[in-house]
Amino acid sequence: MTPEENKMIDYIAQLIRKPGMSIDENTPLVSSGLIDSMALVDLLLKLEELTNRRIPAGKVQAKDMDTVAKMFATADRVGKPRR
Amino acid sequence: MQKFPNLVVALDAAPADLPFVTFWMDDDERETVTFGEFRRRARAQAMALHEEGVNSGDRLVILMPQSIAAMTTFAGGMMLGAVPAFLAYPNFKVEPAKYRSGLAGVTANLQAKAVVIDQEFPEEMLACVALGPATKVIKASPSNPAQDPDQRRESANIDPGSVAFIQHSAGTTGLQKGVALTHAAVLRQIGHLAQALRINPGQDRIYSWLPLYHDMGLIACFILPMVCHLPVVMQSPVNWVMQPESLLQVISQTKCTLGWMPNFAFQFVPRRTPRMRWADYDLSSLRLLINCSEPVRASSIQEFQTAFRISDGVLQSSYAMAENVFAVTQTEAGRNGPGTIWLDGQQFRAARRVVPVAANLPDALPCTSSGRLLPNQQLRILSDSGEIANPDSVGEIVIRGDCLFDGYYNRPDLTAQSFVDGWFRTGDLGFVLDGELYVTGRKKDLLIVGGENIYPQDIEEIVSAHPAIHDGRVIAMGVYNPDLGTQDIVVVAEVEGEDWLSDAADLERKIRASIVAALGVAVRAIFLKPPRWIVKSTAGKAARSATREKLMREHPELQAEDWQEHAAADPLIRPTG
Repeated sequence: MTPEENKMIDYIAQLIRKPGMSIDENTPLVSSGLIDSMALVDLLLKLEELTNRRIPAGKVQAKDMDTVAKMFATADRVGKPRR
Repeated sequence: MQKFPNLVVALDAAPADLPFVTFWMDDDERETVTFGEFRRRARAQAMALHEEGVNSGDRLVILMPQSIAAMTTFAGGMMLGAVPAFLAYPNFKVEPAKYRSGLAGVTANLQAKAVVIDQEFPEEMLACVALGPATKVIKASPSNPAQDPDQRRESANIDPGSVAFIQHSAGTTGLQKGVALTHAAVLRQIGHLAQALRINPGQDRIYSWLPLYHDMGLIACFILPMVCHLPVVMQSPVNWVMQPESLLQVISQTKCTLGWMPNFAFQFVPRRTPRMRWADYDLSSLRLLINCSEPVRASSIQEFQTAFRISDGVLQSSYAMAENVFAVTQTEAGRNGPGTIWLDGQQFRAARRVVPVAANLPDALPCTSSGRLLPNQQLRILSDSGEIANPDSVGEIVIRGDCLFDGYYNRPDLTAQSFVDGWFRTGDLGFVLDGELYVTGRKKDLLIVGGENIYPQDIEEIVSAHPAIHDGRVIAMGVYNPDLGTQDIVVVAEVEGEDWLSDAADLERKIRASIVAALGVAVRAIFLKPPRWIVKSTAGKAARSATREKLMREHPELQAEDWQEHAAADPLIRPTG
């Protein structure tokens, strides 16, 4: 895992407030009910910060954010340089 | 506002070169259609539907992502005199089998002639919309017909008293209730709204991220601009919720003047937009932004107003429901926004009495107005015994007026339960003070999450189905989350035997996943309790409010203060004030 992926995992652990729960880059987050749709923006903003890119929401679907691995793949696919 | 006999004539009367819908995908991708182009596409859809056998009076379920094509299909259906209904597009979280059963329930109740899907409808879900010989699956024709359809149907012949479309008020599965609305009732509602909001066709432009299957998105942000001939700039709710900041970008760039959104959005947008970018946006074009479909909170309105330097009087409120087409009350455009009063908390909780007190008293409860009745609307507040309540009491809001629906489609049983002496029982609690309505909560057990209505029974049924859970000993409830400005879903369930609690984390994970798979909603917390924990009523059923109180006592972290503490510690969430 990259340091950015690790940072994202730490962030998610804090967001879902389940101290005992272990998350890795392939843990389903949205489809398992751990993350609700209103928290997706938190993940997207964090992803923008960690990748230093702008990620247009119009090109991202909730399923693209289901795991940490998918999030970073999505950032690679649709991310644009910062304005 | 011009008078029209039906909605199709209203659409036909719009100037052809006037922009109607701008669909905003991203800052470098958007599409605008004029009223003329919208009509052309809608007629093409009407012809395609007609060729598939759809006729006047047939019910038509539209399962398409938020798009111009979804709107032209809806309008095309109305042009035929058919009765369209938008339903939510399948969510990737929901299991196909669960989706199928929910959809089958709705189409069976509507006796739908057809389900219209988009060209990109997921292959794996196709089998779920094929619902037997009575209901045909039709792919909407591509949105840009090569040639202009020459056939102009006789829209003037649509009877104003015939059903124009069906809205679904709430619910995800078997409890879907279809609200059938006539052209005449819808046009009366639009007329009242246009008057109350002082709609100005040359100047107003609507902004919306609201789903078309919800009354606020359908009536206020599609039908109203269609009838009043206003442009509307629209986003997909799915995209907006992932990037709430885009609302600021869209309004700044397109100079929208009018919008609606549920309470939570008034704090979701500032809290999910990095503070350093707040000043980048200019919302001075906004004339009215109306807080509607969730209980209105003064603190949420204040947060939005302060963050984006909104002038006094722009942020307003309304009380609305699908059964009344849309709005029942509206605060007065031109006044300083909804008034807030403070009530004696002790009197309110103990006796449901309304005793206004000074704002700075320690136990004072704030209540924010939803405004005054629209023309030709009436309301009463009823006590628990069904009598008209004392003027200083909280009770159930019942309404009647010239926009009210006749009943739930094909559900005389539900309709009968909902009316008392010709008045519609809203299930909401509130009071009237100096002619203004204040909504204080729900009598019926309905959760309102981000403006969407969810029945706790849907969740309870799923949780009860797990073998570890004692059937019927489950309560799902909404707990206000001040960080989000809306309710969180919290579930408390009794296990069959104490040994199930040894691996509670795993059980919780499975239950959480089964709720998402069936309903597509995430619950905030699941509390698993030993046998006989849930408070029972004398009839042996789980007692909702007593169980809730017990849970709150045992888990004080569910109380508002703790959520707020967490919010302050989160670097992305910066409460103002």
